[in-house]
Amino acid sequence: MSLKTTLFKVLNSKIFQGILIANIFAFLIIGIQSSLAPEDTGILVFSEFVIIPMLMGIITAWFLKDMEIRGKQITGYSILNGLIAILMSFFFLGEGFICLLIVSPLIFGFIISGAFIGRAMFKKRNQKLNISIVSLLVGIFIVDSLSDHHHENMVSDELLIHASPEEVWKHVVAFDPISQKENYWLFKIGMPSPMATTVSEHRLGANRKCIFSNGYIFDEKIVKFDINKNLIFDIVDQPKDPEIMGHIDIKRGEFILKDNGNGTTTLIGNSWYKLHVFPTWYYDLWAESITRNVHFRVMEHIKLLSER
Amino acid sequence: MFSFVVKRVGFLKDIPLFAIIFDSLMRFWMFLTKPELLDWIDDLEENVTRMHGTTIGIHKYGGTEFNYMGREFAHVHSNGLLDILLNTELKNSLMTEGKIKDHHVFKNSGWISFYLQNKQDVGYACYLLHKAYDRIKQKQDSMQLSPFVCRLQSGV
Repeated sequence: MSLKTTLFKVLNSKIFQGILIANIFAFLIIGIQSSLAPEDTGILVFSEFVIIPMLMGIITAWFLKDMEIRGKQITGYSILNGLIAILMSFFFLGEGFICLLIVSPLIFGFIISGAFIGRAMFKKRNQKLNISIVSLLVGIFIVDSLSDHHHENMVSDELLIHASPEEVWKHVVAFDPISQKENYWLFKIGMPSPMATTVSEHRLGANRKCIFSNGYIFDEKIVKFDINKNLIFDIVDQPKDPEIMGHIDIKRGEFILKDNGNGTTTLIGNSWYKLHVFPTWYYDLWAESITRNVHFRVMEHIKLLSER
Repeated sequence: MFSFVVKRVGFLKDIPLFAIIFDSLMRFWMFLTKPELLDWIDDLEENVTRMHGTTIGIHKYGGTEFNYMGREFAHVHSNGLLDILLNTELKNSLMTEGKIKDHHVFKNSGWISFYLQNKQDVGYACYLLHKAYDRIKQKQDSMQLSPFVCRLQSGV
């Protein structure tokens, strides 16, 4: 069979058409939605990760509706559909590898669900039901796109250090580079982790810099400097990195040192962040996990330096 | 993992789509790690669709649902867990064979659970599905006949 014939066959196959049209549809919708947004807020709404993948699955199922196709094949084509969408996001939307890894369960879960919902819908041949389901999804998409999205959260962690608050304080304001191995799986596969912190002066209003493993620097300003007790810093500038950093803004950090009166100190680390990606029930799990691991990487290092 | 989710966060199943999405993720995982399981599930689907009056659909708690005249008689989750509606007598007699278990959630009911673990299990699963089909068919058919029989008995 010649290449031309093979190409013609592929282009004419319902499977190819289903996957192609589903992906074109998704990127058109995302393009239209971004162009209609009043300002470039960088916010990615719930519908982009839930409704669009589900509609992609339904579109593919519509192309496959007259074919005798088994569930395993539908699953395979849905995974291919999702992979293409993820690859296109990597190349055309500039998303990072880890960011796409985080989003992939949503994409695959909803595309596969959409494909099976579509199969059930088109088997029934009930046009009213089909139109109702699709209209409902489109309605949710429009309402969600036009709604305000704002989500801020705070993560708090604490660690017992066998040293006095005076000793701990020396390593809280600034600390030498962290040499311990990464133990959080996302850090191991390339997500930037905190490496060191420098400070211009030990006083209120001083500039602090938090340096990450890939060289990125978070510029911070000390807004509370209560020696041996409390340090609060606002993040004034952070890199727009495709690996998650564009999707979450760290707003403020805090260290509280509680003197336990027995030569030990309880070190509390707090961080405030703002999410730019929705749904929060999914991304907050990741954001909390990442923030918590950033805390513990820094706090374990402070513990090590203080107990030395 | 499945048992953990059912036990610990089973209450989330009432959130629309939650269970379906969870099942889709299991299906995704099985496609990558044990693709033959999806073949066995497809074999079950084909077997059921050959039975007269049956349809397949999406189960509200995720998976494929098998119906006779619109009434569910079994469903299979994408990890190979097949739940079948029998009656207590049939269930007790089959339990002695040692292959089936109480339903993973509804212990004291006519429901049973059977895990598809290898290709040979498909045959036994089909046998169980036939039992469930015969039972529901008989029940449904007698229900459809009963008004007619009543009318005959009362001479109306």
